[in-house]
Amino acid sequence: MAPSKLPAAILLRVLLRSFILQASWNFERLQSLGTLYVLAPALRFYYREEELALAYRRHLEYFNTHPFMASAVLGTALALEEKRSRGEKTYLEVKEFKGMIMAPYAAMGDALFWGGIRPLAAGIALFFAVKGSLWAPVAFLLLFNLPHLVFRVAGLFGGYRLGLKVVELIQARRLPDLAIRCKEGTVVLLGCFCAYLAFISLHGEGVRAAWGLAVIPAVVLVGWLVRKGVSTLLLVLSIAGMILLAVQLNQHLPAWVGGDWLKF
Amino acid sequence: MPGVDFLIAGLVSVFVGLDRTAVLQVMVSRPIVAAPLTGLLLGEPAVGLQVGALVELLWLGRLPVGAAIPPDDTQVAVGATALAIVFQGPLGLTGLAPSVLCTLVALPLGRIGQAFDRWARTRNGELLKRALDSLDAGQLEAAEKSHLLGLSHFALASLATYLVIIGAGSAVLLLFGSPLLQLVDPAKGWLWMVFPLVGTAVILGTINVSRSLTLFGASFTSAFLMLWLL
Repeated sequence: MAPSKLPAAILLRVLLRSFILQASWNFERLQSLGTLYVLAPALRFYYREEELALAYRRHLEYFNTHPFMASAVLGTALALEEKRSRGEKTYLEVKEFKGMIMAPYAAMGDALFWGGIRPLAAGIALFFAVKGSLWAPVAFLLLFNLPHLVFRVAGLFGGYRLGLKVVELIQARRLPDLAIRCKEGTVVLLGCFCAYLAFISLHGEGVRAAWGLAVIPAVVLVGWLVRKGVSTLLLVLSIAGMILLAVQLNQHLPAWVGGDWLKF
Repeated sequence: MPGVDFLIAGLVSVFVGLDRTAVLQVMVSRPIVAAPLTGLLLGEPAVGLQVGALVELLWLGRLPVGAAIPPDDTQVAVGATALAIVFQGPLGLTGLAPSVLCTLVALPLGRIGQAFDRWARTRNGELLKRALDSLDAGQLEAAEKSHLLGLSHFALASLATYLVIIGAGSAVLLLFGSPLLQLVDPAKGWLWMVFPLVGTAVILGTINVSRSLTLFGASFTSAFLMLWLL
């Protein structure tokens, strides 16, 4: 008797397991063991004995994508496994589908979640943090996790319901464009954040506000050094060292040498 | 008591450390969350907030793509917060200076986290072999459960990084804490500004947006002028 649709309880177990997809992340096959772990309750529903062992092996093949995009891939993999267990033919086998889709989905997920939404949420949260408000972590978690969780849950259920058609649906969402908009928003936000930070810091140190405009070339210079491969740690420590030295010199030199030239 | 504080922070370090890669990834591992959480549990949320704001942007642009492992800013945030709270009394200073000093002490130690993270991932490779052996032996359930053992490797890696930061950080602060604090205290306002500015520069250098300098320059200038004029 061919298995019917997955019961909701099993689909829910798969969803919950998808939150520990990367628990055994390794250099050899990256997320493969995690994929097997996530899909196992459904595979046990579809197959028995030798067929089940073959299905387990099938999903232990090399697999790596963005952890949030993995939900959509694994949902579709479930739909394909379901058809296979019924003996129905699909124009792509589950192994082929995973192999084809994992790299583009990884690129999209990295750009959108790591490169777009996360810095944007951090930029907004930092405004709260600088004001000393404990809403900073709350704002960050809400802004990041709202799209993240929607994507994970809808990805799994959508992938399972739509099968291979989920690829068209994700294409229609134009995620790379969304990622670019998020990144542009982050740059604008960080510009405002740096302006606010420079303004209040200079005011706190009693320095003329006009010096704040010097922040732009300084940030551009450090950004250029980063592009040239200089490590962030080295930059932070060397700039901190220069500041400590400058402040010490300013304190110990006579006023006419080191004194108040920043303040006129 | 410092021991209890370090123990509580150690538990936080494991919990948030797992979020970095292995579990959930709801980003409680980000410094802007992990540091205030540590501070809150140790009774000084403001210290955590300061450390979180200092560290958050620095390595945010280092993406955990493929086999790339960024420095462990989570443990830097947790460790620096715990150090600042524990040592601010003995060093005789509260406020921003201990947070800045402890972050400066903890930052280089965050690079150690990459080595422990690599160790966890290498050990997880053995789990894969174990799963394949279990499949050969027909033990499907054992193959499936090998996956969960990876959690212990990631937890150990987080704890090890935290312990290195606390151990080495405490030694530095015990030996040189007072002179270092005297050095940092008059410069704390400048250093407070510099950390996020360097972080922003790092993001601008890596964000891959074609008009990033124009957008940054325009938004900075307009916001700055508005603050100046108002």
